[in-house]
Amino acid sequence: MSAIEIGAWSLLAMVLLVVSGLHIAVALILLSLAGIWLIRGNFDIALSLLGQAMNDAIAGQEFGVVPLFVLMGLLVGVAGIGKDMFDVADRMLRRLRGGVGIATVFANAGFAATTGISIASAAVFARISVPEMLRFGYNPRFAVGVVAGSSVLGMLIPPSLLMILYAFLAEQSVGAMFLSGVLPGILLTLVFCGGILLIARVRPGYIGGTARGLQDGLVRGDLGRMVPIVLLVGLVLGGIYGGLFTATEAGAVGATGALLIALQRRQLDLAGFWRVLIETGHITVSVLFLIIAANLYSRMLALSGLPQAIVQAMVDAELGVAGFLAMFVVLVLVLGFIIDSASILLITVPLMLPVAQALGIDLVWLGVITIIAVEIGLLTPPFGLVAYVVKGTVDDDRITLVDVFAGAAPFALMMLLTLLVIIAFPWLATALV
Amino acid sequence: MAPPGRTPSGDGPPGPLSGSGPAGYRRPQFLRIERVGAALNALGTIWIFALLVLVDADILGRELFGAPVRGAIEIVGLSIVGIVFLQLPNALWAGRFTRAELLIDALGLRRPRLAAGVQGVLHLLGALALALVTVAVWPEFLRAVEIGDYVGAIADFTAPTWPVRLVMVIGSALTAITFVLLAVADFQVAASRAPGDGGARP
Repeated sequence: MSAIEIGAWSLLAMVLLVVSGLHIAVALILLSLAGIWLIRGNFDIALSLLGQAMNDAIAGQEFGVVPLFVLMGLLVGVAGIGKDMFDVADRMLRRLRGGVGIATVFANAGFAATTGISIASAAVFARISVPEMLRFGYNPRFAVGVVAGSSVLGMLIPPSLLMILYAFLAEQSVGAMFLSGVLPGILLTLVFCGGILLIARVRPGYIGGTARGLQDGLVRGDLGRMVPIVLLVGLVLGGIYGGLFTATEAGAVGATGALLIALQRRQLDLAGFWRVLIETGHITVSVLFLIIAANLYSRMLALSGLPQAIVQAMVDAELGVAGFLAMFVVLVLVLGFIIDSASILLITVPLMLPVAQALGIDLVWLGVITIIAVEIGLLTPPFGLVAYVVKGTVDDDRITLVDVFAGAAPFALMMLLTLLVIIAFPWLATALV
Repeated sequence: MAPPGRTPSGDGPPGPLSGSGPAGYRRPQFLRIERVGAALNALGTIWIFALLVLVDADILGRELFGAPVRGAIEIVGLSIVGIVFLQLPNALWAGRFTRAELLIDALGLRRPRLAAGVQGVLHLLGALALALVTVAVWPEFLRAVEIGDYVGAIADFTAPTWPVRLVMVIGSALTAITFVLLAVADFQVAASRAPGDGGARP
């Protein structure tokens, strides 16, 4: 068997084992070891590469972004910022048909600027805005769909755990990846709002809801409570943009600010803070151990020559940039039906990176494309993690998992549309970087 | 100590890839060895907070007094490795290792004992992987001790790397043991008479 064949077989085995439920890090480590062993005919070489990966893969100041931004997101969640954002948007938009849905989108976009985890956004807004929409007679399917759909903003608008993961895999700066998500995030927010308004016009029955004037309008002090969090987000992102902070430092500033806000709102006691720190640790471990395993996998791929063979095949087929992107996006979307988002990034990015480089594709732009394509997978059955979280959090027998997936489908379509726009206009991703 | 996991108050989210999963996770283990993992995890948790304070001090020192903390960059890099390996066993015990659990969960609903058996095999593979990791990092620890490996620059700031290498050995070994115990629990469910026993059902 040639080295390329060994690489291809271990890749296939990896996907099968991951689908059958093997921990992804374990699959990456074992099959990379086996691949290196077979290619080099020497197990000691494989073990020594494993040791190097363990030592070096995450030994750098830049990896501090993971715990610090995760901590920031969790603290903002505990402080109840998500609910405040929703309340403000809800009071402003309630009179509109579909207004509570649009409020959910805006609140999600704002919350996304403080947290990097879509699952977190989905859980928060499933608890806050679904009951509000049901109270106003919205179609339950639309209500859960809008929450699931707009929660993907969490990992597109910085900070974003998926962007951090991509930055590490593609050896791009985390700060650059964060900034690349700003305009696409705003675009997707607007597309979601436009889509809801369109549905409200064409098929108002699908959204449902009564738009009676309630005693509302903004309560004084609502906007005032938003000031600290707006300042914090401005400081964190502005600090990265202006070169004042590295991404890790921005994470520390963000986490510290979020801690102060949570304390000032009296939402955090010592036990609560301890729980948040433990949760931070668990998320950090689950992400960074994957990075270590992916490092070994990249070494195996490099030894196998598989990526180079793909580059050659692409060149021979004269696919070009457009052809490659089309193939890559389809691959990611298909994988999105069967495996989870982190695994897709871990398996495809090291494989496709040499191809993208050979074609001269901007890796930051490719990152945004990859993330949106991966996030569509969060909404599609059977592995649409976000849908499970929404279903689990809402916990209402009238709302089934099918409702969530069906409700999220229009939003997945809108994401696909946005993805095409970003492919057509790369400056959307690269302008701020 | 509060059980690790979700934050019940505020809009606290569940973990991104949470779900305590099928049998075995978050359960007492042989000799209550999960307590050792919990202790290491607590140490790592404190370390994360220390990291936050360190980076803040570095920024404040640099911006306000023109004096950054010496060695901060090196310490952060080394700390991340230490934190991950300190928390690895507890993260596994809590079922927080990233995996696609959909198929195995679906199988668990219909054939709980078969699912537990499959799960046991998967956990044994995990034990194999982490045992290999332990074997791979052990010589790195010995080397760090022997040559007195350090990060930083002499005459400015240096920190030895052997403590972190030792943490890597201990963390990966304990994770391998945790995997074995999870597999044992799975096989016990698989071999049990009562179908659905062992937490495969609510």
